[in-house]
Amino acid sequence: MTGIRRDILIGLACLLVAVLVPILLGGRYIVTQATVFFIWAIVVVQWNLVLGIGGIFSLAQMALFATGAYATAMLGFYLKVPMLIAIPLGGLVTVAASMIIGLACLRLRGPYVALLTLAIAQVMFVLIVNDTACFTNSSGCMPLFGGVRGIGQFGDLGLRALFPTKWYVAHYYVALSLLAIAVVFSITVIRGPLGLAFKALRDSPGYALSRGISRFKYQLWIFAVSAFFTGIAGGFYAVHFRVIGPTVFSFPLLLFLIAMIVVGGMGSIWGPIIGAALLMLADEGMKEFSDYRNIGLGLLVTLFVILWPRGLAGWFERLSLLRISDSQKNT
Amino acid sequence: MDVLIQIIASGLTLGAMYAVATIGLSLVYGSLNMLNMAHGALLTLGGYICYATITHLGFHPALALIAAALVCAAAGLVIYAFATLPLLRAENFETNIFIATIGIGSIIENLMLKSFGPYPIPQPLGISGQVVIGNVHIPVQNILILVTALTLMAAVAFLLQKTRTGRAIRATSMNREAAQLMGVRVGQVYAQVLALSGALAAVSGIMISSIATLTPVMGGDPMLKAFIVCVVAGLGNVYGAVIAAIVLGLLEAATQYVFGVRWSFATLLLLVILVLIWRPYGLFGRGQVVRL
Amino acid sequence: MAEPALALKAVRSGYADRIVLQSVDLTVGKGELTAIIGPNGHGKSTLLKTISGLLRVREGEIALAGERIDGLRPDEIVERGVIHVPQGDLLFPAMSINENLMMGAYRTREAAAIAERLEKVFALLPKLKDRRNQLAGTLSGGERRMCGIGRGLMAGGDLLMLDEPSLGLAPIVIDQIYEVILDLRRAGSTILVVEENAERIMDAADRIHLLDNGRFAWAGKGPELMASPQIIEAYLGA
Repeated sequence: MTGIRRDILIGLACLLVAVLVPILLGGRYIVTQATVFFIWAIVVVQWNLVLGIGGIFSLAQMALFATGAYATAMLGFYLKVPMLIAIPLGGLVTVAASMIIGLACLRLRGPYVALLTLAIAQVMFVLIVNDTACFTNSSGCMPLFGGVRGIGQFGDLGLRALFPTKWYVAHYYVALSLLAIAVVFSITVIRGPLGLAFKALRDSPGYALSRGISRFKYQLWIFAVSAFFTGIAGGFYAVHFRVIGPTVFSFPLLLFLIAMIVVGGMGSIWGPIIGAALLMLADEGMKEFSDYRNIGLGLLVTLFVILWPRGLAGWFERLSLLRISDSQKNT
Repeated sequence: MDVLIQIIASGLTLGAMYAVATIGLSLVYGSLNMLNMAHGALLTLGGYICYATITHLGFHPALALIAAALVCAAAGLVIYAFATLPLLRAENFETNIFIATIGIGSIIENLMLKSFGPYPIPQPLGISGQVVIGNVHIPVQNILILVTALTLMAAVAFLLQKTRTGRAIRATSMNREAAQLMGVRVGQVYAQVLALSGALAAVSGIMISSIATLTPVMGGDPMLKAFIVCVVAGLGNVYGAVIAAIVLGLLEAATQYVFGVRWSFATLLLLVILVLIWRPYGLFGRGQVVRL
Repeated sequence: MAEPALALKAVRSGYADRIVLQSVDLTVGKGELTAIIGPNGHGKSTLLKTISGLLRVREGEIALAGERIDGLRPDEIVERGVIHVPQGDLLFPAMSINENLMMGAYRTREAAAIAERLEKVFALLPKLKDRRNQLAGTLSGGERRMCGIGRGLMAGGDLLMLDEPSLGLAPIVIDQIYEVILDLRRAGSTILVVEENAERIMDAADRIHLLDNGRFAWAGKGPELMASPQIIEAYLGA
């Protein structure tokens, strides 16, 4: 079975199960938690493209997510743009932001990129939180970016009005569709020319460079295109929770997402989604020990990197390799 | 004139604190290509150990300082044994150790949170009183910090330049393979460097908390600034980092005065990015020649 | 043949993804100048790195004066008296010549022994003495090579291994370097030289080994090599 056919089969199977979930287990709690899971899954799938495929050690992922979310919210709040337009516009704003960050950082070597992107995220956070000057007084004093309290009342997709009691199921399906598109996109990138270019750059950099494959150009590309879906996920997050505040910059959240990628397996197609699902479930199951949540996350990340740096995806690969060698022995 | 004195006084104090935090990071990166993201947590750990030994165990402040340095040095050794050593044997060391130390930092910080709570605690190690220059009042505490930092830097410089251990550390950071061929046991050098870096982090954490307060997340901001200093100087360049730290401290004090606290970090970062566009390996860094 | 200073038996070694040395046997006689020649990329440097412990021995044995050294750490092997002057010198560029030489004597703790060796090195390589406070990164190619050899000698070992001492140098500088190597040989040192440039080493070496594709293909003396044109043609392309 070729890789791409296997990916399509796995994807369709997951999609089928996901479509049935609200119908079979219609509880509101499960459905809304699954919606949040879809949002984080989109973010880590795109981040995985940057980290695992592009080899860009960017920590700006949540800053880009926030860019999409804030852009969507501000378009709605200040310019009264309908959300159906504001979310894709937010995605485009995120692409523009990622191009600027990319142009500033991507010519540098790995560790420099990591530190600079982290610093950029921190600057954005500081600028938003420390802003206390009133930009508008229409409904009480509000700074341009909403300050510590964030921005609310910027409209929504209209699904709450359309399905007054079941709007959360509608949001579930919106998030699921977004995730499906994001995954298809990521598979296309990994298996397509961009993915091949990066594989060439990894396997024989000299030859790739001599054939005119410029690392910088391709890294900027992958950084920008993955920013689009990240920004869209941010926009949907803002709409779903009806408010966007500086908490999206928090370090524990960043650690939570890193843990998803590390546990699932960096650079693999399905690993980050599996990781996201597992961590959401673990988070749910450990609610009583929430005091120890971040200690547990830290331990998990550290242990996986040291013991299984290729994550769960690495386990599956080894398993299937074993099976292949077994069946070869038998025949 | 008074403003200038004020800026220089607070800028030097800031710079000195950053320098102490930076030396450790820079040494670790220089000798093992390891970005230690747990450094901020070690700063915090040092601050709390100092506080706890003074208030709960009744230690003399000097003794508390040494205790904190020892505990953080031990923490550095633990990081070496359980994260660095196994990861050095595998591939992708630079990425993996970065992520692993993010995890370790989170563990340490949240243990502090569990033990001491989220609320700011004043650091008991401090001296009151002020020195007046012109019309400017400079706290004695700041002067003490400056003197301590300079003494520590001189001690580290002596260690690196004049001792056999220091020479081995520098040799390892210049060329790991050549150092091995001289008979340097690089594993030992790595352990020494991480322990030293931990001890320096403790001292710098105590300094920072003595003019601000102790909180479980206090390490993050100075660590990020220390990293920026390293990046500006060129990762792994210890002496460049000291100069860059002091310049950045002065700049921060100046931008705080000119643009307000809110914009100072953003201005600094913008400057850093401009520097890096001009010199991608930092001011004193040299590009690595990649052989294909 | 004299008592062997170094003996390799069926040594297999290489890098993580690539075995370079298939099965190598070699003896280096005490007080002799042994040369290893062969085309580029056929394992000459790998051989030296394996002996000095930078690369792991996968199979086989390495014995130094009868004592097994395979599986030891590089620092333990240096401790036992094996000096490896690597290809391209690998000096410490931000250290002065003096400091580089001090690093060479890293395993020696007696100040008197270090001073004595330093004097010997300066006598053999007077240029280093004149420039001892200059940073190694600023030296010319020939000076760097001398500094590299001097740094190796500072360890006071029993076996000196030189990886391509003539690489990248002007002919007149190569002559100077070989003068130094021959001086050392006359003083009774055991030396193992790796050279791609077979002509240089032919007269000087007591014994020559030809390494081809991870195995020794031929061994003999310089004049014998000269007398076998088929070997020269097949392996050295001359």
